Amino acid sequence: MASGWVERVSAFCGSPSRFLCGTSSEVFLAELLRELRDDRANYNVKVLLLSPLCEYPALLCPSDSVGEETALELMSIFAQSPPKFVHFRSQLLVALTCVLTCSPDASSRLRAFPDFLDLLLQLAQDTSDLHGDAAQRSLRATACDCLREMEVLYPGLLSQRLELLGALRHQETSRLHQAYAGLQTLVLRNVVYLLTGEKEAGAVHLKALLGGNESVGWEADQNLGAASGKNSTPLSSVILTPMGTIPTLHTGPDCKELRSVLSSLLEESYLFTPLSQAERLYRLTEVVAMVPAIPPTIFRAQLLRLLGTSEVSLLHTTLLMKSAFTDSLFSSEDEAFLLKRLVVLSQHPLLSAPEKLFYMDCILHFPENRPISCGDSDEALPVLLTPRLASALLPVVFNDSATLLARFNLLSLVYLEAGEEEDGRGLEYLYDHLTSLLRIVESGGKRESIVTLFRAAFLFLFHFHHVERYCDNLSQQLCQLYLQHTRFAPHLINLANQTQEKLPDSPWAFGLLKALQRVISQTPLSQVTRHDLSWHLKVLTRAAEEGEMSQHATLRFLSGVITPSSLSWSADWRLGNGILGVCRRLLVHPSLDSILIPLADVLQHLAGHYGDTDIRDHARLYYTLLTTLSREKLATVLAHHAEGGQQVKKRTLSCLMTEGEGLTSILTIHETEAAIFRLIETHWEQPEAEDLIQDETERGEADLETYRAQFGDAAFASQVTLKFLLTHTETRDARFDQLFSIRLHFSLTDDHYSELQDLSVPCLFRERPPPVVALTLKPKQPYPTSLHVSAIFTTQDGLTWHTTLPDIHVCFQQIFLPLPAPSSWGRTGRQAVFAGLWEEISGETEECASSLFCCRLEEEALSALVEKHFLPFLVSDPAHKDQFRVLLFLPPQSHVLLKISSEEDAVHFNIATDSWQLLPHINDYLLEITAS
Amino acid sequence: MSLRALWIISPEKGEHASIRFSRRFATVELRAKRLAGSSYVAVPEDDCFLQLLLTELGLSGSKQPFVVKRDDCLYRPRSPAVELHVTVDASPEQRPPLSSLLSVSQGLSFLAGLQTFLLAPGSKQDGEGLVSRLALLPSVLLQVCPLGTPLELPLSGTLATPSAPTSAGIQKQPAWRTGLHRGRAVVNVSVAETVRSMQYGNRSRQDLWDVYGTVACKCEVEGVLPNVTVTLSLPPNGSPLQDILVHPCVTSLDSSVLTASSVDSCDGSAFSGPYKFPFSPPLEPFILCSYTSQVPVPPILGSYQLKEEESQLHVSVVLKLHESVKNSFEYCEAHLPFYNRDQMGVVDVKVSSGQLDVSKEKNLLVWALGQKFPKSREVTMEGKILFSGTAPGPSEPLCTGLTAYIKLYFKVPDTTLSGCSVDQHSVQVYSSAKPRIVTSRELHSKDYRIWNSTGTAPVSSGQMIL
Repeated sequence: MASGWVERVSAFCGSPSRFLCGTSSEVFLAELLRELRDDRANYNVKVLLLSPLCEYPALLCPSDSVGEETALELMSIFAQSPPKFVHFRSQLLVALTCVLTCSPDASSRLRAFPDFLDLLLQLAQDTSDLHGDAAQRSLRATACDCLREMEVLYPGLLSQRLELLGALRHQETSRLHQAYAGLQTLVLRNVVYLLTGEKEAGAVHLKALLGGNESVGWEADQNLGAASGKNSTPLSSVILTPMGTIPTLHTGPDCKELRSVLSSLLEESYLFTPLSQAERLYRLTEVVAMVPAIPPTIFRAQLLRLLGTSEVSLLHTTLLMKSAFTDSLFSSEDEAFLLKRLVVLSQHPLLSAPEKLFYMDCILHFPENRPISCGDSDEALPVLLTPRLASALLPVVFNDSATLLARFNLLSLVYLEAGEEEDGRGLEYLYDHLTSLLRIVESGGKRESIVTLFRAAFLFLFHFHHVERYCDNLSQQLCQLYLQHTRFAPHLINLANQTQEKLPDSPWAFGLLKALQRVISQTPLSQVTRHDLSWHLKVLTRAAEEGEMSQHATLRFLSGVITPSSLSWSADWRLGNGILGVCRRLLVHPSLDSILIPLADVLQHLAGHYGDTDIRDHARLYYTLLTTLSREKLATVLAHHAEGGQQVKKRTLSCLMTEGEGLTSILTIHETEAAIFRLIETHWEQPEAEDLIQDETERGEADLETYRAQFGDAAFASQVTLKFLLTHTETRDARFDQLFSIRLHFSLTDDHYSELQDLSVPCLFRERPPPVVALTLKPKQPYPTSLHVSAIFTTQDGLTWHTTLPDIHVCFQQIFLPLPAPSSWGRTGRQAVFAGLWEEISGETEECASSLFCCRLEEEALSALVEKHFLPFLVSDPAHKDQFRVLLFLPPQSHVLLKISSEEDAVHFNIATDSWQLLPHINDYLLEITAS
Repeated sequence: MSLRALWIISPEKGEHASIRFSRRFATVELRAKRLAGSSYVAVPEDDCFLQLLLTELGLSGSKQPFVVKRDDCLYRPRSPAVELHVTVDASPEQRPPLSSLLSVSQGLSFLAGLQTFLLAPGSKQDGEGLVSRLALLPSVLLQVCPLGTPLELPLSGTLATPSAPTSAGIQKQPAWRTGLHRGRAVVNVSVAETVRSMQYGNRSRQDLWDVYGTVACKCEVEGVLPNVTVTLSLPPNGSPLQDILVHPCVTSLDSSVLTASSVDSCDGSAFSGPYKFPFSPPLEPFILCSYTSQVPVPPILGSYQLKEEESQLHVSVVLKLHESVKNSFEYCEAHLPFYNRDQMGVVDVKVSSGQLDVSKEKNLLVWALGQKFPKSREVTMEGKILFSGTAPGPSEPLCTGLTAYIKLYFKVPDTTLSGCSVDQHSVQVYSSAKPRIVTSRELHSKDYRIWNSTGTAPVSSGQMIL
């Protein structure tokens, strides 16, 4: 049992959506709660059972009422659980917090909420464990955690308890004082923040909340009113407000109470764990920032300790304090010291790589006392960071790639700032470094070092694109690298694209592509391998996109490639496609006039002599286009081509062939935004009532055994067929008026049915009558169900789409079939089966059950009801109105038998079934039909 | 800092990885949702998250030479695998710099603490230790962050069960001290220095070395908030300790202790000790402080020369131990790897001292120098190697042609290069019982390389060149 739960819970938490396909959230929640209530269950398992509620409370309690019930249930489990299971009780508090706060309706708070809050406060104050079991304290700690989370979710919720929390912290000498301090600090910060919203009374209220005058405190609560705790939006950082303005609370110079609370919290901060200390200090920084009457120097005593710390979060808090208080807390010496410290830490051998990267980021966003640039720009160097100081962070080849790039970027900024463009040694160093990266990649670096090289190259260009001597040299070096490793073509093209995009004024990318075109065209073809050639063609394709670039060299290369004497590679489709790709770009090149003849020659040669028919055809098409169309027309045709125009013909293979932009959209499956069409039930027809009166002559022996024997064939009477109309939804979108090759896919939401086959519909036009779709269901258990439906289809312009249809609901009565008796049997035979089954079921074997359903109906109404709903399933003669006998068959092998008769006070539906699980569904169904 | 979800993922063979643990924090998620409003993006389910992460880390699709999402040349220092648009610290409109979010540094600490917990000593990374640690994780998380907002780190030792209940005294127990020590008082202080070096044997390129040290403590003393002071001292002419970082349990610091920095120009008048560190120790062993130091000479000065002679390589090595360093090693080995060549065939090499071995893979010479250098404090190696092996050796893009290095591994007990030491009598413990005090020192090497002076060595630090 226990192991089963371990797997189920982990399956649920790993992927709730998949898990809930097999069951429903109500069922799972009910099972969880049942097991939690079970006294025999192991408490370790019970702890595990709480995790779905902790992780996905909103999924398991989709409505407030379910949340409410679940919470009450959990509270009673808590009340009954023995105190020694501290672990379980703690987890239970966490689960309750999650269930009570994650109700779907954010505005309302569940009724159990105040009770739970009282419970938490009570637990937090329960110091009866003082000399007792140490583990007991962890329940108190958890209660504090829950309170803290609730205060975060509903700022001001605990504002009235501020004094109590202070007292609890004060008394506590065990490690738990940290939990109280955390809670107190948070509540204090929220209270101060909420009071900043009040014009004048703020100071008085704060005093009251801190210092015990209860009547005033009460009044303050009234005033905090709208804000306190009813606000369900958690506060983001106060210092980080988007407008850069900090709300202030004007208290006047006299705020002794606040000052004394702050000092005592600061004094004890040393006793907190670093994480908690950082959090507290940050919250207190926020408080002091909001209350101008408290001087930031209140932090002074902590500073030296914080400046020397090895703990990343504590030093970070110090930086955040500096950002909030600038020179009112930090002298210029402090500032210089901090910056040096950051440089040291950014390359400290004992720190981890993530910490060092973080410190480098801090240098780039250093909170200066008097920043020169007022902008909120992304990265800015602090004035004090001189090239000399920064030289400690020069990149070296032994750095990991993230560190290397971060250092490269930082130093680039430093040298740019220092104006090192002309013979600066720093810049020279950076360039040398880039070269050594290049050497490493040249001699066979891994993927990561290749990417690092290109990123470093981009950074260099981005900062120093105007320093020609380096940039030209870089182009040359990259060309050499390319010749040795043509597989870097995509990286080079990417580099060219990015520099062109990010530095539109720089001619560097153009220069690189031109240089690449030159080295490719100058390479003797005898030295070019098949592999190189395909990369060369990719690079030339990109170069052909440059309107300013002369394309003669490219054409020379192409005509060399297709000349039979040099063609040492097999002239296959791929190669031809690569060549055509270049030609395709050349056809729209602005200098087409000057390359017309060599281009025509290449195309003609391909059309006449190339080894692949398909390539010959396409070359011929291009040749014809080139020689017969005017330039403008050609450009229009091919531009349409590239944009993926409206006509199917234009965008098929020729587009695919030449890797036009249309290719991606053709090969992609697009997702529709809304449902395009849906399945509507055809007016649900009951199976025809067979005319049995005609056929009174019995043929063959009619008994239960013969009837049962039919089921020897597994396929016998195992399916239900439902018919639907496939129609457009109301949303009109002309693109979807005519749809083709629709393939409907059905997926189950439970395991009561066998997997369904996909269905194909040839076409769907908005104007024409909707096609009928027959869906065959094969139940494993004949219960009502829902089906998810999706479809893939093609639109007129040749694009493929995927869409989701509204779910289909299969109701209980749709699964009814008449008794599948042999066709030769008449009414007598069927009645015999009815009688036989009834007798068997009355014997009450395992799965069988009988039941009675009563309702008030007039005799006429009853006849009408039988006629309307049960005629096809009627076994008795319809003329015998004193008792109707109805037999519902539900595939694969369930029966529901009804004897319906009018008794003196009511109509009795005597029910017998060989599958007791069907009873609730029958009951629902009978309720439904008798109600109308 | 609040966590929306936590995953523990371990890489497996090839391009696979599996999620070993996952946990979501519903209330934090709720906060994210309320803060983000319409721009809310839910945390994806496990499988989806894993796939995105592997792509971002470049751990999937290695067969494709270029994947834009992974290999784009744009510098993306802070690119997430999954951008959830909103942190629970800032409103959704902003994407603030990381350095303004306290969560980032707290997150770094928390993850590092979690890693230490999962890979605690005695458990191998993928062995049973990890499995048992993962099994403990749910209850550990219930203690340190039941609702996703951690205030402390998982303890790397055993679970946080206090070793003894504390009495209700006047003094508050620090939250980082999990219990009380009972029994004999022992204070253990050890100074460990690490020396790194890059030697080029080339006039145009300055040799580099640096030294850094850590002071590790284990204090078993009684009391809720015991007071201990450790004093580090230097010899009379010692250069000051720089870049001092201290453990958060240090109660106060003199500002002069922090003044010396390795990125500053050295000032003769700088404070050079004694360095006093008053602190209240945690129960577990910890690093009290760390420092760096600039020493005038490297402990071992080497020269390495390779000459290509037809198909052979002529090797010549000289290693000199500096006179100031104690000539008593725990071990000392020189490794000479050879990359991008065939395996070694004939090795005709003589050493003046120690023992020479060829590794099983035949691409590495291991020269074990033993516990002592000879009286002259100098050892040599001379000879020829023929790379006539049948199979090619390993490749390494950094070491092509004559670019090659010797790597030294050594450890010298009871010494430090900076001269830094902790005198047994300088350790003060304010407690009733007189504690036993143990101090120790050691020096070891890391990344200690001597490059072949006839080849081009990669630049390893720019600072000296400029």
